[in-house]
Amino acid sequence: MSDPVTISVLQNRLNAVAEEMGEAMLHTSYSQILNSSRDFSIGIVDAACRLVAQADHIPIHVGALPWAVRAVADAFASPAAGDVYLLNDPYAGGSHLPDLTAFVPVFAGGRLVFWSMVRAHQSDIGGATMGGYNPGATEIWQEGVRVPPIRITDNGVIRDDLVRMLAANVRHPADFRGDLAAMIGAARLGERRMLEALAEFGAETVLAAVDAMLDGAERHARAIVATWAEGTWTGEARLDDDGHGTQDVTVRATVTVADSNVTVDLSASDPQVKGFINSSHANMQSAVAMAFAYLLDPEVARNAGAFRPLTVIAREGTVVWAREGAPVTMCTSHCADEIVEAIIVALANACPERAMGGWGRRLRVAIEGTDPRTQRRFIWHMFHARPGGGASANGDGWPNAGEWHTVGGLKFGSIEVAEARFPLHFEHHEFNPGSGGAGRHRGGDGGAMWLRVEAPATANTAGDGLRYGARGMLGGADGKVHRYTLHRPDGSERPLGSKEVGIDVPDGSRLHILAGGGGGWGRR
Amino acid sequence: MLTIGIDVGGTFTDLAGIDEAGRTSIAKAASTPHDPSDGVLEGLSLLAQGLGLDLPGLLAATSRIVHGTTVATNALLEGKGARVGMLTTEGHRDIIEMREGLKPERYNLRLPPSPALVPRGLRIGVRERLRADGSVEIALDPASLDAALDLLAADGVQGVAICFLHAWRNPAHEQLAAAAARARLPGVFVTTSSDVLPQIKEYERFSTTVANALVGPIVQTYLGRLETRLAAAGYAGPLFIMLSHGGVATVAEAGLLAAGTALSGPAGGVAALTALARQGAGAYLVGFDMGGTSTDIALIRAGAAFLSSARGVGEARIALPSLDITTLGAGGGSIAHLGADGMLHVGPRSAGAAPGPACYGTDGSEPTVTDANLALGYLDPANFLGGRRHLDVGAAQAALHRLGTTLGLNPVETAAGIHRLVNARMADGIRVATVRRGIDPRRFALLGFGGAAGLHATAVAAALGMRRVVVPVQAAVLSAWGMLNTDLRVELVRSLSQSGAPDIAQAADAVQAMQAEGNARLRWFDGELRSAITADMRYGEQVSDIQVAVDPAWLTAPDGAERLAAAFHDRHAALYTYALPDRMPVLVNIRVTVTGGMPPVPATSNLPTPAPVGRRNVYLGDWQEVAVHRLDALDRPITGPALIESETTTILLRTGDVARPDPRGWLGIDLPD
Repeated sequence: MSDPVTISVLQNRLNAVAEEMGEAMLHTSYSQILNSSRDFSIGIVDAACRLVAQADHIPIHVGALPWAVRAVADAFASPAAGDVYLLNDPYAGGSHLPDLTAFVPVFAGGRLVFWSMVRAHQSDIGGATMGGYNPGATEIWQEGVRVPPIRITDNGVIRDDLVRMLAANVRHPADFRGDLAAMIGAARLGERRMLEALAEFGAETVLAAVDAMLDGAERHARAIVATWAEGTWTGEARLDDDGHGTQDVTVRATVTVADSNVTVDLSASDPQVKGFINSSHANMQSAVAMAFAYLLDPEVARNAGAFRPLTVIAREGTVVWAREGAPVTMCTSHCADEIVEAIIVALANACPERAMGGWGRRLRVAIEGTDPRTQRRFIWHMFHARPGGGASANGDGWPNAGEWHTVGGLKFGSIEVAEARFPLHFEHHEFNPGSGGAGRHRGGDGGAMWLRVEAPATANTAGDGLRYGARGMLGGADGKVHRYTLHRPDGSERPLGSKEVGIDVPDGSRLHILAGGGGGWGRR
Repeated sequence: MLTIGIDVGGTFTDLAGIDEAGRTSIAKAASTPHDPSDGVLEGLSLLAQGLGLDLPGLLAATSRIVHGTTVATNALLEGKGARVGMLTTEGHRDIIEMREGLKPERYNLRLPPSPALVPRGLRIGVRERLRADGSVEIALDPASLDAALDLLAADGVQGVAICFLHAWRNPAHEQLAAAAARARLPGVFVTTSSDVLPQIKEYERFSTTVANALVGPIVQTYLGRLETRLAAAGYAGPLFIMLSHGGVATVAEAGLLAAGTALSGPAGGVAALTALARQGAGAYLVGFDMGGTSTDIALIRAGAAFLSSARGVGEARIALPSLDITTLGAGGGSIAHLGADGMLHVGPRSAGAAPGPACYGTDGSEPTVTDANLALGYLDPANFLGGRRHLDVGAAQAALHRLGTTLGLNPVETAAGIHRLVNARMADGIRVATVRRGIDPRRFALLGFGGAAGLHATAVAAALGMRRVVVPVQAAVLSAWGMLNTDLRVELVRSLSQSGAPDIAQAADAVQAMQAEGNARLRWFDGELRSAITADMRYGEQVSDIQVAVDPAWLTAPDGAERLAAAFHDRHAALYTYALPDRMPVLVNIRVTVTGGMPPVPATSNLPTPAPVGRRNVYLGDWQEVAVHRLDALDRPITGPALIESETTTILLRTGDVARPDPRGWLGIDLPD
């Protein structure tokens, strides 16, 4: 039994270890999506697959990490010190293929006690389209290289043959290898720091403190849920379509609050679809945990204890939990965002002061072509003109701050740098006034952009939100929907769909982006 | 003749004066936030009194005053900057409010957005557009500019920030707009992004420029008034202002680059670290400045401080080079409490001056770190702040008892737990701050200053595996003293082409232009000017740049690009364990620092009167009676456990710690193996 001071000291230490791993990742990773947009996450998980500590990076990653550990632990009976494991398979504990995870086991006296892990979104993971998002995919084999739990070490030495095999399946092998080295380095740093803590305090003290931390977070979460109204409510959120002819794909949550417990039942959600908006199991679990965390206080420790009041019920074969083989790449945004929104709509009845208006939908554009200035191929991913954040009881929503799954955590790059590096000209990039939903508090406005493409190019889109905008809460209005239009130099105009590949973009075309805003909160 | 350093802080205005023989005198006056020059004049009078002079006599005998001010910092933190209008490229007026898509506090979705630095109605688009290579896409439209200036004139703004896209590459449009603004709005503070920070990346450049306009009018008014009052009181020497990067500038320069004074006060502390390093206290130091509500961490490596250009002050992002200081949210006034998770927490709430720690006997009823230190016997209730405040041990114990009951601990266990937890938090914070900069803290010494550091420094150092602690005797007014050990400095930067191999000819031209500008700005200075060149570089797609020191010979060498690249590969490997020698790095920015050496002040030579030595019961796992020494009377090594006190700080030596007074002005503490 640890004393209360040692428990607090160790809680701080574990958080500092996670933070330090994140810093290492930030400084050593090679891809822009990692070192600038910070699309990676850190976790310390114990031998019972319980999340013990994490660093606040991308919320949709975190609730999924324990499921990934479970898959590795199931696949390998006896991990050894020095091992490094990898996984991205959505049908074996992963979320979607671009999110590759590295695991390093931590031992105390020959006993496995923790896993140090780093999950990072790869800038490319192979498959039919550059960058991982393939709206045309109808099966996972078209989405990229699939990595079930594998050990990439042999007696603690990285197996270069396996790394080469993976690198051979992605489009930028050198960057991939750099990022993988950074991930493994950060995970091993976590291992080293955890070993130091185990040596300093003794394994029994550390493990007892972990139990106490989890119990503490549970107590904190239950104290909050105990203030909510008890009852059963339903909530729905809808996607435009799956890109293959199925419209109004609906996530349905039936949520019961009773005796400081929350049960989320997603079984009534629509059947799985042909396109890539299906969710993997781990991603669905993570989305539910994320919705719950958003309704608690920010001070609640985000470890497995905080999620003990939560029970998740879902049915395999629905859009929130697809059967093996279905494409799922879009799922960390869609349908994760709809899962979150359906739950919050339901729980707005239980805790109206905590429920916030909907955050925006992700609708990405990737443009590829050849830069006439350098004759080099380029590919540019749009992170500008983001949707707005939802309003809350405390005030208006954040403008241009993103979607449910990133909530202001993803940075867009400098326009000056983009114009210097790509044949692009940003004629206009401001807020899109009036796009946030009205209400007692207004949803944040989305962005508005006119982008001129100064090279012959092609574009892909991937996302949602052209027909359904961010949901208004408690009488607040919905945010406006997105409207993306391509203006070609010959004067013709063409609205862009949310799941298109190979759009012809002649030199001098102008892309007009009007991003939707966040949902309003409360009747005006 | 005297040189005087003046550090205006939130609570106290500290002064340190040094004469030619190295005799140091200090004074402390209450700060006067409504007009800080009142506190400065009061402090100078106190300093004069201590020396048996009157104010005119002191000022007549003073050859140099260096001043650190929080006027800019406070204006930004409190959102009380001048009323500012922003002229910006049409179609791009929301850049400073978009904040690159980022929002703080990831899991706080109910956090409402903070107001923009300049409201949208005063951010006015002007028809003009440059391309990335600096060429003109749309010429500056005079009618559009006039209309914008009409709006700002009608509003009565006090400052104008002119921020055009790609102006770092070609300042012509900004210069035209600035000339028109100065003509149309006489007396208004006008500043351009190409002057303030001629560097690529619009969010950083615009936010810095807007911050400069917000504080410029305020800083200029304040410094003008201070100069006038000092002159009226009989001062004829120069007044220098401490800048965020650790150098000093004239009042005129500081007024133009007012955003560069945002870290003016803390910069004095780091200047003191550098000076102590130079005087032999150690070339590798972690500065540990533990105050009432927060603790500042700064690093000295090989005798030099780190600079960073990623500073947030209030809502403003200020990308000017500034000393790299990390702030941890805990200090002596941090409140210990039972969280909703049933666990012990220290901070982030602080008792501050009001209600204050429970032992102040004001209104505080929750135990703070200071209450814990008192209950453990570390602090002398009769001798806190030189006896100016009596501490109530009973009140501290009562507060600890209330908290302890909820944890199942007695008051002493509770106090020991708070002390241990805050030490652990400090150690964790320092570990992350050092790792972030690619440093292993174990070969550094911990240099403790600020009122609360002495009681925690040895335990924090031990937790980090550090073997040495240094506590300077000037700890009480260290920032003011540090300001006397600074040089005149101008920091300049130019961005270069953003892709391809380093263009050495382009870099050489930029360096030449910057050296000319730096020399021109310090033309009035009669001492020798030196300059140093650094380059910001990265591998292709990386976003964080690494600074590499540039040998001027490379700029003319035929293989200059290769030598620059080799220096970058080495630095990258040293920081991040690997390099990619087959890749040519990108040269992003080139920087020139021009410094003018100020006459050095002699090391401190005088020691105040010795005071009696006593004994006190302290809790170090169990109660034991330990010797209490006076810091300013130490003349031999002291082995812990022991306490060493001065008027403003108390140092706790744990068992086996050995403290040695150093005649150069500090206490060196070696920790046991």
